[in-house]
Order: sequence, then C-alpha cells, then structure tokens
Amino acid sequence: MKNHVNSFLEWAMAFLLGVMVLDVFWGVITRYLLESQSSWTDELARFLLVWLSILGAAYASGKKLHIAIDLLPQHLNQKQQNYLDIVIHLLVLLFAVAVFLIGGIRYVYISFALGQTSPALQLPIGFVYMVLPISGAFILYFKLSELFTIIKKIKNGN
Amino acid sequence: MEISILILSFLILISIRVPVAWALGISSLLTLMVSVDTFPAVTTIAQRLVTGLDSFSILAIPFFILAGHIMNKGGIAERLIAFAKSLVGALPGGLAHVNIVAAMLFGAIAGSAGAAAAAIGGFMSEKMEESGYDKGFGVAVNVTSATTGLVIPPSNIFIIYSVASGGVSIGALFLAGYLPGIITGIFLMIVAYIWARKKGYPTADRSSFKMILSTFLDALPSLFLLIVVIGGIVAGIFTATEASSVAVIYCLVLAMIYKEISIKDIRPILVESSSTIAIVMLLIAVSIAMSWVLSYENIPQAVTQALLSLSDNKIMVIILINIILLIVGIFMDMTPAVLIFTPIFLPVVMELGIDPVHFGIIMVLNLCIGLCTPPVGAVLFIGVGVAKTTIQKVVRPLLPLFLAMILALVFVSIFPELSLWLPSLFGL
Repeated sequence: MKNHVNSFLEWAMAFLLGVMVLDVFWGVITRYLLESQSSWTDELARFLLVWLSILGAAYASGKKLHIAIDLLPQHLNQKQQNYLDIVIHLLVLLFAVAVFLIGGIRYVYISFALGQTSPALQLPIGFVYMVLPISGAFILYFKLSELFTIIKKIKNGN
Repeated sequence: MEISILILSFLILISIRVPVAWALGISSLLTLMVSVDTFPAVTTIAQRLVTGLDSFSILAIPFFILAGHIMNKGGIAERLIAFAKSLVGALPGGLAHVNIVAAMLFGAIAGSAGAAAAAIGGFMSEKMEESGYDKGFGVAVNVTSATTGLVIPPSNIFIIYSVASGGVSIGALFLAGYLPGIITGIFLMIVAYIWARKKGYPTADRSSFKMILSTFLDALPSLFLLIVVIGGIVAGIFTATEASSVAVIYCLVLAMIYKEISIKDIRPILVESSSTIAIVMLLIAVSIAMSWVLSYENIPQAVTQALLSLSDNKIMVIILINIILLIVGIFMDMTPAVLIFTPIFLPVVMELGIDPVHFGIIMVLNLCIGLCTPPVGAVLFIGVGVAKTTIQKVVRPLLPLFLAMILALVFVSIFPELSLWLPSLFGL
C-alpha cells in the first residue's frame, strides 16, 4: 500500500515538474518568437509550484527525507529511541492535521466563499490551495503507519 | 515573551530530532497562538505556507535544482575537471587546486554547493587518494570550495535573498557575487598550496597551450550556459526564472548530444530532482511563514533598536551581525537562515547606509562557513559521504580552510567595492 502511495506521489511530482519547465520555457518562446507573451504561463507555473511543493512535503515526510539534527538520540537505548520516535511522529502528525488539514480546509473554504478567481486563467483560487488538505491527508496516512510500525515493534520487544 | 517561546520551542524540537522544517512550522504556530485564537492561527499559517510559495521568483529554485541533476548525469563535471586540471594541475598540490577550480566552475553552473561537492568530490577523492593525498584534506578542500559556487552566479541562494529582502535586483546580486566568490577561491588555493608544500604532495606536469585549448573547447558548451544565463539576466532579456528554465532545456540538450542521457532517463531524473526540490521547498515555505510571524510580532523592529542601542558604528554592527550569523549558520541551514534573518537584519544595516546588495553577499558568504560545520553542515555530510570517510578525519584540515573563508568574509565586509563595482559597471 505504502509503495503504491509513494509511487503515485513520485509520478505526480515528476509530472508537475515536467509541465512547469515546459510551461515557463513556452512563456519565453512565445515572448520572443511570437512577440506576445501569453499571460497564463506565469500563473500556471506558480500554481504548479504550490502543488509540487506541498505534495512534496508529504512525499518527503513519508520517505523521511526532511533533515533532522542528531544530537540527543545517540545517547538513547533502543527502547528510548522508539518512544522518542513516537513523540516526533505525533508532533509532525499534529502539525499536519492542524495546519495542512484543518487550516487548509478552512482556507480553501474561505477562498471559495469569497469567490476569488485567478486573473489570467479565471481559475477559482480555492483549487490551488486544495493541495493543503490533500497533502495533509497523505502525511496523516504516512505518520499513522509509522506509529503502528513502532508500536508493533515495542510490543514484540516485550 | 513571544520571541522566547519561538526560540525555546524551536531549540527543544530540533534537539529531539524533529525535522528542522517541521520544527520551524510548529514553533511559528505556537508563537502565533499566543496572540491569536487556535482556528484563525492554523488557517493563517496554512495561508502563509501557500501564498509564500506562490511567487514567480521562487520558481527558479526548482529549475536550477533540476538543471543541476541533469548536469550530474550529463558528463559535464568530467569536462570541467579536465579543463581545471590543464589550468592549475601543475601547481604544488595540483589536484587540490583542480578540485577548487572545478568546484567553482561547476558550483557556479549548478548553483548548488551540495551538487558540486557530490559531482566533483566523487570524482576527485579517488584521484587524490591514488596520488597519496591525505583523504581528510581532500574532503576539506572539496566541501569548502563547493560553497564558493553559491557566491559565484547563478545561485539559488541569491534568489532566496532577493525574495526575503523584498525585491533586491537578482541581476545585481549575481554580478556582485563574482569577485567575492573568486577571492574566496583564491584564499582557499593559498591554504591548499601551503599545506601541499608542507606535506610534499605531488605536482602534475605543466600542460601545453594546446592541451589547455582543447580541454577549454571541450568545456566550452558547459561554460557557455553561464553566458546565456547571466548575460540574459543582466541584459534584461529574461528573468532569473525564465533563465533557469532555459538552463534546464540547455543542459538536457547538451547531455543528449554527449549521449550521457536518453529520453528514458528523463523520468528518473524528474523523480530524483523532485524529491530534492520537496525538501528545499518545505523549508522555504515554513521559513517564510516564520518570518511573517516574526514581523507580525514586531520582532525586527525590536532587534533593530537593540542592535543600534549597542552601537551605531557601521563596522561594529557588521561585526556583531557577522558573529550572530556564524553561530546561526552552525545550527541552521542556509535557506531558512536567509529567509528568517534577512528581514531582521536588513533594516538595521540599511539604517547605517549599507547597500542591500553588499549585505546579501556578506550574509551568503558568512553562511557558507556553516555549511561545512557539524551538526547541520549539509555540504560537509555530502563531501564526507562521497569520499567514504568520517567527519573526525576532516576536522583538522578544515580549520586552516575556515580561516581562509573568514578572511575572505572580512575583506568582503570591509570593502563594499568588491561586491558593488561589477554591478555598477552594468548600471545595476
């Protein structure tokens, strides 16, 4: 399951990045060759960047790529390590639920309620911010599965 | 009150190994919750995360990262090393100088110190060991010289500084970086020269002019990218973001002509790059959010008053800020440090009449040192990793190289002309 989620996110990120490059490059070409820059290329690229970054946050947290500093944990034994890992995952989970999921849904709701649309693409801006709760749900999934693994480890250890 | 919650919670979180990016987010949220109710607070942080990223300038960062990944696979590093070898290989400790010059060139093109340390170090550490160099010395030279690529343009960190400072010209920052970056490289070469003389490291034969010319022609397509990107930005032909997308396409075409990558390699490169990008972008998003919380709590004004009450002497304040930044750099990666501390320190230095372009160079050059120190020195870890050695072996030879970097920092801090002369030539 986790592998499927990861490869889905990889596919999505690679796609977003690829489209972003082509989009901005297209903007340059149209400006110089056709001498009329399409105004939507800038906007689309910025929106894709938001999606790539926020989805990437979930991907990197699932793969444990975010950089942490190893100072204290070297002095802990395996059991203490496990408990510390639970605390760390819980903290990230709480933040993701509070900000990405709850804050994100509220922000999307506000954007739709105000009827904000983007100037060039006429896209309701709420669709751009919708990536927050989506990414929050992925982080919730990754962190819960980490927590289950650790708890299982602790139980087996006893 | 708010500031102590922010600092304390952040220090506690990172010391128990919460990833730095999440720690920045959690402390920002806690700090905001002191003065704002919970629901509006989480919504505000959510809003700051996405609106902070919604910037055309920041787009250049993932593109330059992608271009760097393509270059790593594209046989560009080898050609730059060959060119550097024909230039400086004949100096005492030749391979160390080759590493420094190649890292300056590659770091400049790739715009990332980590990429330079990996690409050049992976290639050079073996060569140095074969020729009887001390491994720790090789790694120390590699990681310190890799950071010069951050000062020599094009460089992602100047784009971040431009965003954090509220729009200092990217073109001016790029041009301003040349001399300070080259000076740092020369200082590093002087230390490497002295060290190599002392240890009696071997010297390669002097290259013939024909050799220099042929390696130069080999490296020319890679070097030409610099002309396209920097020239294009300075001449106002395109923005830094547009230039970065041109760089991606250029590197891709070049690597395909070199037959180092084919169509089927593109997807893995995109995946690999996007995981690097994911790490950097979350750091950027949460740092922008934290910076917003700081200014919401009026922290920059408080710091300005505190610093100016200590001294209103330009040199004293610059020394003070440099010392603070050196300490910050030891514990914090460069990107969040620039995003968080630029809005705090820039008003102070501008009050004293220091040019924001000059200050950007000082800040980046300063934080380069932190990239090579434990416990968060990203470039140090990459350098040690590719050379398969330990940090303990690298510490001793790092010390004189740090001295060279600090000396360069002092020069660049004292003489604004070193940074501002080139941009002024181009009217920026």
